[in-house]
Parts: sequence; structure tokens; C-alpha cells
Amino acid sequence: MTDCSPLPPRAIHIIAIASVLFTPAWLFAQSSRPSTKNSKTTNANKAAASSKTWTMPRNPYGQPDLHGYWTSESFTPLERPAKYQGREFLTEKEAEEVQKAGLERGYDHTYDDPVEEPVYDSTTFGLTPALEGYAPNKRTSLIVDPPDGKLPPRTPEAMKRPRAIGDRDYIEADGHGGGVVHADTPRDLGVRTTCISMSGGPPIMPGAYNNGLYIQQSENYIVLQAEYGSELRIIPLDGRPHVSANIRQWRGDGRGHWEGDTLVVETTNFRPEAAFRNGNAKTMKITERFKRVAADQIEYSFTIDDPGTWTKPWTAIVPLHAIKGPLFEYACSESNMDVVNIMAGERATEKAARAKAKGSSK
Amino acid sequence: MRSYLRIIAAFAAAAAFLLAGSSPASAQSAQPVPPAQSSAAQNRIPTPGQFPPYRAPRTADGKPDFNGIWQAFVTANIDIQDHDAQAGPHPDVFGAYGAWPGGQGIVEGGEIPYKPEALAKKQANAEKRMVVNITSDPHRHDTGDPELKCYSAGVPRANYMPYPFQIIQGPDTILFAYEYARGVRTIYMNPNDPNVPKEAPADSWMGWSHGHFEGDTLVIDSTGFLPYSWFDRAGDYHSEALHVVERYTQVSPYHIMYEATIDDPNVFTRPWKISFPLYRRMEKNIQLVDFNCTEFVLDLLYGQYSKRPAK
Repeated sequence: MTDCSPLPPRAIHIIAIASVLFTPAWLFAQSSRPSTKNSKTTNANKAAASSKTWTMPRNPYGQPDLHGYWTSESFTPLERPAKYQGREFLTEKEAEEVQKAGLERGYDHTYDDPVEEPVYDSTTFGLTPALEGYAPNKRTSLIVDPPDGKLPPRTPEAMKRPRAIGDRDYIEADGHGGGVVHADTPRDLGVRTTCISMSGGPPIMPGAYNNGLYIQQSENYIVLQAEYGSELRIIPLDGRPHVSANIRQWRGDGRGHWEGDTLVVETTNFRPEAAFRNGNAKTMKITERFKRVAADQIEYSFTIDDPGTWTKPWTAIVPLHAIKGPLFEYACSESNMDVVNIMAGERATEKAARAKAKGSSK
Repeated sequence: MRSYLRIIAAFAAAAAFLLAGSSPASAQSAQPVPPAQSSAAQNRIPTPGQFPPYRAPRTADGKPDFNGIWQAFVTANIDIQDHDAQAGPHPDVFGAYGAWPGGQGIVEGGEIPYKPEALAKKQANAEKRMVVNITSDPHRHDTGDPELKCYSAGVPRANYMPYPFQIIQGPDTILFAYEYARGVRTIYMNPNDPNVPKEAPADSWMGWSHGHFEGDTLVIDSTGFLPYSWFDRAGDYHSEALHVVERYTQVSPYHIMYEATIDDPNVFTRPWKISFPLYRRMEKNIQLVDFNCTEFVLDLLYGQYSKRPAK
């Protein structure tokens, strides 16, 4: 489970299934014997075959053309599960099984009629990229450095740091679909449920649904628009310095440049509430690399350098696959029924409890 | 650097045009200006509403280049029609911080051609612009100015709110990114893209927009609007039948003349127009910064559901 995965900031009745939705696919995958076939070789062969027929598309300014619609959908967890210790890649068969299990997990939670029962099931909200048929992620973890696929140790400072309020913090789950809800004020619900800040990155991470990404490109700017929350990052490429340290933003302050055909984006100036994985907003620098490697794929990697939180930098790779697009407006706060329903529900629960207490005291 | 050179070139072209004795034109109305006024124009302060002929810089693929950060400097967000200055809400607390300046309107001819029953609704909107009742159904939109709630501005309002917006222009799409409430619109410029529906797939706050160039003018045709956005704090409004055709014409390196034709047969007796200039923001290293006002309206929106101290 990663705290960057967008938990559906939605009606409370789906909270119970949320923990299932966010459980790594591994736990649901049929156990399979690792094949001896070398998937690395297979990948290399495929890349070699496609490179013969594909040339880098370029925009009118000669820059690699990244513009268009992409998805970060993937069922590979951030950290490497123990059973894949020492292995960077899955076999083809394993990868397909993981993908299938991930998608079927979505289908498992499809309601009979999503129109009548408007919940964020995967048939409606998560499967479009899968229906368009992208290649499964063969990595056993998104993290590629450290090479063991695990997060480096946290610093003592980070271990003492209180957790920034996120979506799940307002529910102290009891593990049986119930628990204690903290909803005295809207702020208790966290920045996602209140539509203040979703998962617009950086970095770009796969979540349960709405993994779409729209890249707009001009000579001097790259714009990354996340489908989830329609959140924008506008990144100048003209070599200007970062804004002053006094300006701290929900998506940070990104600066990009081209290194050959790779777009490199460095982001600092985060707001404390928006620092990735409860990092230190003041010391966090995220470096992302976008390299188009095929007509339908961008190899995307990010390096988290936050000496206030991790003892060394770490790097992950998330493939971005082309999808048809376009993306649609995600007007979150305008249609946010959750905050009303959760809070009104809590007030009703409290009222009922008071009435019960009164009744029993008589 | 290249775009800088293009601007210089455009300047030179405009200057040459002037020196050749051609008549400058008002970009807004395209009315020719008498030569007597234009002969010494380059050495006099400009006449508002009039711009010498100008050719916009071009992108590498030869299109008029609208990239930049732009902002309107009208008071139309308060009222798109002529209006006096007024005290804002709770002047006992907010004083001049909350007062609203007067200003000249942006509506061509001054009046909005409301149907009689629609005018009554506009007036009711104005009276209840600060009545906020957020329910878990669409009745949450019945009263209260969307701006007060940090809701999406809609079109054309987003263009004349008192915040900058950025145009990021690519070959197939033009993105409008608004500082206010993280607003965003994508303008689809390629009519042959099979993946872009002609009609809006669903209604939205910022509408569904197709664009094309007519000479130096970017023309954007938008439909598919939700009926909830307003035009201003004065309660001017529209229905889901709103159809907006915007025309963006660069009239100098630093100005776009903006014009929009607004049609909504449910609300108005005929189409009507607004127009005003947009100004290029020229501060060194200017960029949009967060104005994510949702965090500032949580208590306004949801305070009625917060826990009260036990009585």
C-alpha cells in the first residue's frame, strides 16, 4: 500500500472495499511457479524489433513529441514483495497473471448497475486503458534503486514526523468493515476527500483508477494534466530559476530541460501537506525523466531525493502507455457529496447515540 | 530567443506598415480611423480601443502564436454591465478590503437581452449570491455565486476574473490554464482527430471546445456546459443551452482583443456580445502560482455539518 495511491474520495460505503482495492495484486494472483524463461531477454528482443520500424516523433520545434494521452496504470507494487526477492522481472506468464488478477479484482467489485448505484467501480473508472490493451508491467517492483526494490531506511527525523492527514486518517478501521470515523470538521477528512489536492504528482504513480495523463507541449513549456482531479503541472523549459522558497505549492515548482531526447523535470517548493509519502517538504527534490521509447510508450522514472526523510535517494520506473483520450473534466469540489454525506452521517450517528443514552438513563 | 526575434520582426512589420501611411484600425470594431489621427500616431499616446495593424508572431508550424500569460483588467467579474462601486459583504469587518470597485461594462450595447422571466431569476441570483447551502444533490447549486464557493468559473467568466491565465499552444490542442480554482480547458484544434468527439460527451463547467484560426484570430466554439456557472457576482447566468463563440485576436505584442458571442435561447431573446482586451503579463519569470481556493471555503461549504459543542 502506498500513501500516494488515490483512495476514492467517495461515498463512505465504498470505504469498506477500498482496502481490498488497494491490496497489491500479488495477494490475489494465483500462486505460480516462476518460469525459467528470461523475461529480460524477451523485452530486449521486442525493443530491438520495434526500434527498426519506429523513429522518435518530433514536434515542430524538433523536440521529442510527448504530447497526447497516457496512462500510468500498473499492478506492480512500489516495493518488491518478498516472494520475488532477488528478481527484477516477472516472467511473461507471471506478468499476465498479475495483470489478469488486477483487472478481475476490479470486476469483482462491479455493481449490478453502476448508473443506479453510482460507485467508482473499476469497470467504469479503471479499465479503459486495459480495454485498449497495454502491455503488462513486468517489473516485480516500481522501485529500481535501491536494487533490492525496497525503500531505503527512513531517517530518525522522518520516523518522529507526524503523519500528514490523508484520506484514510479519518477512519480508524477495525479491520471488519467498521471503525471510528473522525469527522468533526471538514478538515478532519484530509486534503483528498475535501478535493483540495488529489494525486496530481509529482511523482506520477499508478492508482486504483483515473490514471490518465494528458501531456501538452509547446516550445517552452510542458504541461502535465492528471486525469484524477484535472490537476495541472505547468513546467517551464526556459532555464529560469525556481520561485522563492517562500512560495510552496501543492504540486511543487517544476523546472524542465531536455537532456538529449529525455525530458528532465526537477521539482521543489512543496507544501508540507503535499510532500510525497510524508516527506520533508523543505528538503524534498523530485527528479523525473520522460523518454519516449515507442509509439505507444514513455519510459518514466522518478528519483526522490529527500535527505530529511530517507537515508539515500531512491528511484522508481513507471511505464506510461498511450491511450486514446481525450480526458474529461474532473470537477471535484463542485460535486463533492462525500464530505456532506460523511459529516451528516456522523452527526446523525451522534444524535442517535445521545438519544439512546437518554433513553437508557431513564 | 526565436520567439523574441519574431516579436522584433512583428514590431518592424507594424512600424513599416505605419510609416507607409496605412490607416490604423480599431481592432475591436475594425472601423478605419481617419488618416488625420494616424499620421503622427507613433509618437503620441495611443487611443484606447485602437491598435495599429499588427500581425501576430507565428509558431514553428506557422500558426498565430498565443503562448503567454494573460489577464483582463476589467471589473466584469463583479458585474459585466456598467456598475457603481459598492460596499462588499460585512463592511463592518472587511472595510475597504471587501469593497467592490465600480466599472464600465463589457456588454456590447450595454444591456443583456434577458427574457422577462429570466431577468427575474438573475435578480434572485444576485439577492442570494451569498446564500450557500451545500446539499448532497444538485440543489447545492440553487443559490450562491459559484465564485464564492470556489467552484469552476465557466466560460466566459474565467477569462475576466481578476487572475492571470496561461495559454499553452500545441499543434493539435491549445490548453487554457487559469490561476483561479485550477481551472483548465482544452481546445481541440484538429477537426480530423477521430478520438475527439464533435459533441460534448457530457456536460461540464468549462464546456467542450473546438477551435480554428481565421487569419490571425483564434476562434473557439464551446457548448456542453453545465447550467451552474454565472457570468458575474451580479447573478447573470445561463442554462445548459449556452453556446459561446470566442474570438481572440492579437492586436499588439502585449494585447489580445477578446470578443465573445453568447447565445442561450432559454435565457436570452437573441445572441449578445462582450469584448475587452487581455494584457500580456510581462513580469520577469512570471508564472501562475496556486490559488487553490477550495481550502479556503471548507467552513463556508460544510460548516453546517461540523460538530457543535454540546449544549
